[in-house]
Amino acid sequence: MKAYVPILIVFIFVLGFAVTNIVLSHLVGKRKNTRAKLIPYECGMDPVGSAHQRFSVKFYLVAMLFILFDIEAVFLLPWAVVFRDLIQKLSRPFVFLEMMVFVAVLLVGYIYVWKKGLFEWNRS
Amino acid sequence: MQIENLNLNYGAVAPEIIAAVTGVISMLVDALSPKGARKTNAVISLVGLVLALLAVVRLEPSGSYFGGMVTTDPVRVFFSVIILLVAIIAVLLAGQFLRDEGLPPGEFFTLIMFATTGMLLLASAGDLVTVFLGLEIASITTYVMAGYRRYDVRANESSLKYFLLGSFSTAFMLYGMALTYGATGNTNIAAIRAIIGEGRVEHPALLLIGAAMMLVGFGFKIASAPFHLWTPDVYEGAPTIVTGFMGTGPKAAVFAAFLRVFADGFNVTASPIGAQLQSTWISAVAVIAVLTMTIGNVIAISQKNIKRMLAYSSIAHAGYALVGFVTGDFAPVAFYMLAYSIMSLGAFAVIQLLARAGDQKTEIADYAGIGFETPALSFSLAIFLLSLGGIPPTAGFMSKFFVFKTTWDAAPHYRWLVIAAVVNSIISIYYYLYPIVVMFFRPLAPGFIKPRIATMTTVALILTLVGTFYLGLLPNRLMNALGQGQKAVAIQPRLGDR
Amino acid sequence: MVPLSWYLALSAVLFTIGVVGVLIQRNAIVLFMCIELMLNAVNLTLVAFSRFLGDVTGQLFVFMVMTVAAAEAAVGLAIIISLFRNRETLNVDEADLLKL
Repeated sequence: MKAYVPILIVFIFVLGFAVTNIVLSHLVGKRKNTRAKLIPYECGMDPVGSAHQRFSVKFYLVAMLFILFDIEAVFLLPWAVVFRDLIQKLSRPFVFLEMMVFVAVLLVGYIYVWKKGLFEWNRS
Repeated sequence: MQIENLNLNYGAVAPEIIAAVTGVISMLVDALSPKGARKTNAVISLVGLVLALLAVVRLEPSGSYFGGMVTTDPVRVFFSVIILLVAIIAVLLAGQFLRDEGLPPGEFFTLIMFATTGMLLLASAGDLVTVFLGLEIASITTYVMAGYRRYDVRANESSLKYFLLGSFSTAFMLYGMALTYGATGNTNIAAIRAIIGEGRVEHPALLLIGAAMMLVGFGFKIASAPFHLWTPDVYEGAPTIVTGFMGTGPKAAVFAAFLRVFADGFNVTASPIGAQLQSTWISAVAVIAVLTMTIGNVIAISQKNIKRMLAYSSIAHAGYALVGFVTGDFAPVAFYMLAYSIMSLGAFAVIQLLARAGDQKTEIADYAGIGFETPALSFSLAIFLLSLGGIPPTAGFMSKFFVFKTTWDAAPHYRWLVIAAVVNSIISIYYYLYPIVVMFFRPLAPGFIKPRIATMTTVALILTLVGTFYLGLLPNRLMNALGQGQKAVAIQPRLGDR
Repeated sequence: MVPLSWYLALSAVLFTIGVVGVLIQRNAIVLFMCIELMLNAVNLTLVAFSRFLGDVTGQLFVFMVMTVAAAEAAVGLAIIISLFRNRETLNVDEADLLKL
């Protein structure tokens, strides 16, 4: 059971973070209710009306970007899992730098997408 | 695979790294310069490609690195040079293409560089994983390049068809790889070869099915019959310079991987399963070769559009190159792909210039009478077409001669293949001559505007012309180099002594 | 333990469903989904072999396949979007400007 203590700690942190944020924003934030804010949240779509409406093509663009930046976790996770074994055999900075190069490449992609204006929703 | 003996050697992947870093730099330059950086990126890409070429020449002659993922051997060196030459010529041509068409300038060079990275990786792959990765890096970038003229519906369609059929074939190839892995317990090509040689294959049926599916995958990628149906549509719809690029570079790279997997990995006769596999795939390749060149040549005759005609011609040329496979040796295929790449790129460069923005004038009828209006272009095109047809003293003749001669000597069982190929070459001369006749002996079509030729384009044309004649007139040095490489590599003719 | 042949049979069936889908479907997005199904069938084969051979290479291969599939998905969607912007249709039969 001792092995599960770290997981318990993670749960406590996650819960604490969420609760703190909600409570803090409740206490500190100003509230200004508008009509748009009070309707049920439906991922940006109008909740009332025909379900057969077309989605804006912009959603696809965001989805594409999401896939591209999401998949990198597949490589980060195994690297993190074997990190301790790896530094026994290869030098520590080498193992670290290998992953930093990978992240740097992702960052270049991010800068590219940003500068090309794909994050701006109201782009013509 | 042990971590201790991975043999991490970054010098061994220097060409790939240089190409990738150049791609990333040109991507950043493009993103950070507001107007787009056509000239800067062209220069950056050229510098990167030349550096990569130097890195290829400086590679150690042989070795296996990164746990066998990357191998250096004459196949890699030779095909890497072909790929980089193709990329250099494509970059030289891209400048004028992008300006004339008013397309976003920077990304094109990035795509060329990333495609080059993938192709180089493919040529150096010593493991099925790297074969797959290289193939996909090269393919995905070329899908985008095919649709680069994104307001043109024809380019969209070309891109979509290329993408759908390309990924379809990738899935086949991948399934083949998975089954081969299951049968041999290994993805390393050298290890697979050893395991087959010792007859330690757990499930022989899986290996045979796996090899067959990989053959289908490779067949798709090199546009061989009966997997060629995508080629004409994709080649016609894509911008001409992209057609030239994807018909030469990726094709050569796939041939390199094809050679390494089949002519090396699956070319052992020491065990019963090895012998069965080898005789099966060689007869399959022989049949595919005959089908490919016959279908390519026969359909090319009836084409009215020069890009479609050259698409079918490219199918036929894949067939000629496949003839070299039955020798089990890489040299004839490598020489053929070099010659084909140079003359084909040259032809597409001229067509790009004559077609004008948006590829409006690509019918052969549009070429009526232009022979003496733009002599530089029309004579160049005539030379490239004659070379593609295999007329001496050009590269096309020498490469065909080399492939057919080697096959005739090394594989007596497959002399019928050589005869079929020679008959096909003779048929093909008809449709290569037709545009030349139209250019020089028909009255000038109205509305002809003399195309402007940029300096970079001129350099590219001169390079391809010189290459065409150099390979046709003085091929000895190169052939000797290839002959020496042949001894260093594991691929040896094995069929002759069967 | 479930024998290897069951996994192989399942992935072969999935792969075949994908192939048949590519051959008979007419919507570009559905075609594309069928291709993804084929890739995932291969992933299943690889993982099954990896498990039964006690060799990790197969799983490594799956990572690569997943990454490539993601890149392919992004490029595929982009191509489909640009075709749709120009043609207002996703039916591949109507993408017929380039005839054989």
